[in-house]
Amino acid sequence: MSQHHDPEALNTPVFEADEPDESTRIPLQIEDWLTVIVMGLLALITFANVIARYFTDQSFAWTEEFSVFLMIVLALVAGSASVARNRQIRIEYFADSGSEKRQRALARFGALMVFVLFALIAVLSVRVVWDDFRFGETSPGIGIPQWWYTIWLPVFSTAIAGRALGLFIRRGRQP
Amino acid sequence: MIATLLFVAFVVMMLLGVPIGAALGLAGAACIALANPEAQWFGLLAVPQNFYAGLGKYPLLAIPMFVLVGSIFDRSGVAQRLVNFAIAIVGRGPGMLPMVAILVAMFLGGISGSGPANAAAVGAVMIAAMSRAGYPAAFSASVVGAAAATDILIPPSVAFIVYSVLVPGASVPALFAAGMVPGVLAGIALIVPTVWMARKHKMGAHESSLPRPLFWQSLREASWGLAAPILILGGMRAGWFTPTEAAVVAVFYGLFVGMVIHRTIRVRDLFVILRESGELSAVILLVVSLAGIFAFSLSTLGVIDPVTNAIVNSGLGEYGVLALLILMLITVGMFLDGVSIFLIFVPLLWPIVQHYQWDPVWFGVILTLKVALGQFTPPLAVNLMVSCRIAGVRMEDTVRWVGWMLFSMFLVMVAVIAWPDLATWLPRYLGY
Repeated sequence: MSQHHDPEALNTPVFEADEPDESTRIPLQIEDWLTVIVMGLLALITFANVIARYFTDQSFAWTEEFSVFLMIVLALVAGSASVARNRQIRIEYFADSGSEKRQRALARFGALMVFVLFALIAVLSVRVVWDDFRFGETSPGIGIPQWWYTIWLPVFSTAIAGRALGLFIRRGRQP
Repeated sequence: MIATLLFVAFVVMMLLGVPIGAALGLAGAACIALANPEAQWFGLLAVPQNFYAGLGKYPLLAIPMFVLVGSIFDRSGVAQRLVNFAIAIVGRGPGMLPMVAILVAMFLGGISGSGPANAAAVGAVMIAAMSRAGYPAAFSASVVGAAAATDILIPPSVAFIVYSVLVPGASVPALFAAGMVPGVLAGIALIVPTVWMARKHKMGAHESSLPRPLFWQSLREASWGLAAPILILGGMRAGWFTPTEAAVVAVFYGLFVGMVIHRTIRVRDLFVILRESGELSAVILLVVSLAGIFAFSLSTLGVIDPVTNAIVNSGLGEYGVLALLILMLITVGMFLDGVSIFLIFVPLLWPIVQHYQWDPVWFGVILTLKVALGQFTPPLAVNLMVSCRIAGVRMEDTVRWVGWMLFSMFLVMVAVIAWPDLATWLPRYLGY
C-alpha cells in the first residue's frame, strides 16, 4: 500500500461497540454458534439459488420455504441471545435515568414482562404443534409434516423465557 | 373500553422501558383474552399463530441479508477509499471534509440498508480525520449522524422493506426507486447548513494545509466500492435479482473485496460479523413478529374504523390531517425507533391513507423521511448514539449543531408533500 501520499492510513481499526458479556449459567456460545450457522446457511442457500437460476434457468422452489423457516429460527435463537444481553429495542429515556435502585427495578420489570410473554407463547404453541400433529398438516411448499417446523416454536420460546428469567435474577443481585 | 386498556397498557409498559416487542405482544394478548371470554382458552391460540405468521414472510428475509451487507461493508475498508476519492474531487478547504462525510454516507447508503451501520462505517473514518483537521468532535458527530440518516431513503433500505411487508400496494422496487430523489435531496439539504456552519465558525483551520490525494490513484483504489451500488441497484433494475438476492450478491461481493482485495477482513472476523448481524436482525424481526399480535388484536377489536372516522370527519381537511399526523409522528419519533414506528402506526394510519386515496408509495417515502429525521433528533437518535460514541462526546453537545440540519431536511419533507412527483416520478418512469 502506498502510504506516503495517502492522507489517511487505509486500514483504520474497525469500530467495536462490544462490551464483555455478563457471565451466564448456560453459556451464550450456544446461541452464538447457532446464529452464525443459520446466518451463514441463509446467505449460502440464497446465493446458490441465484447461481443455479443463472446457469440452469431453474430455481429451487423448496428453498423458499426452508429459508423462511431458517429466518424464524434466526429470530428466535439470536433473539434469545439479545434478551440475555439486554439489547432489545426499548425506550431508554426514563428507564435509564434516576436512582440506581429505580433503574434496577425497571430493568427487572422489563425482563419479567419478556419472561411472561414468551412463557405464554411457549405454553400456547404446544397446542398449535399438537393440532398440526393431530390433523396431519403438511407444509405448503415441500409437503413435509408442518409440526417439524412448528415444534421449534415452544422449544426456542422456552429458551427466550429462560434467558429473560436469567436477566431478571442477575439484575436482582447486589452489584 | 378494551381498546383504551390496550393503549394505556402498551404506552405505560413502553415508557417504563419494557422492550417494545414485549409491550406489543403482551398488550395484544391481554386484549385478545378480554375480548373472547367465552372462547376456548380465551382465543389466545391466536397469539402463537400470529407470532409465527408475522415472521413467516419471504420478503422479510431481505432484512437479515441487508443488515449483513452493512456489517461486512463496515469492515471492508471501502469507506476509507471512498473518502480519499471524494477529497481528491472536492479538494481541501474550509467545510470540505464535512461535505465529504455527507457524500460518502450517501454513497454507502446505496450499499447498506440501515442508518446506524452507515454511521459506524463513516464515523470510524471521518470523525478522526475531521478532528485532525480541527473540527470540534461534537460537530463531527452531528454531521456523521445526520448524514447516515440519508441511508434509509437511498435504496436499498431496511425501512422500505418493512413498510412493503405491511402495505400490500407498495412493492419493494417501487419504494426503492421512490426513495432515490428525496434521498439525494436530503443529502444536499444537509450539505448546505453544514458547509455554512463550518465557514461561519471558522472550523477546520488545518484542513487546507493537509495533502490532497492523487485523483487517478484514489479513483483506482475506490473503484471496488464505487462498483458496489451499480451491482446492487443495477442488478435489481435489470431484473437479475430480487431485493433479497441483490443483498446476498452484495454480501459475497463485500466479502471478496474485504478479504481478497483490501484484506481488512480475516477469516475469524466472519464469526463476529455473522453473530452481530444475526443478533441485530433478530432484534428487528422479533419486534416485527410481536407487532403481528398487536395488529391482530387491533383488527379484531375493530377500533381503527371509529378512530379513522373521527379523524376524517374532524373538519381539518386533507392537509390538516397530514400536518397533524406528521406533528404526532415527530413527537413519537423522539422516543421510538423507525421500525417500531412503522409497525405500530402503519396499521393504524392505513385506513386514513385509503380514505384520502394517498399514493401508498408516496406515503411510505414521507414516513421514511420522518423516520430519517428521528434518527438524528435527540434524545433518542440511533445514529447520533453511534457517532457520539465514536467521537467520545455526549449527545447533549450535538444539539447546537443538529438543529439547522434537522430544519433543512424537514424542508425536503415539506417539498415531497407539496410536490409528490419528487417521490413518484422515478418509480413511474421505471415502470414499477
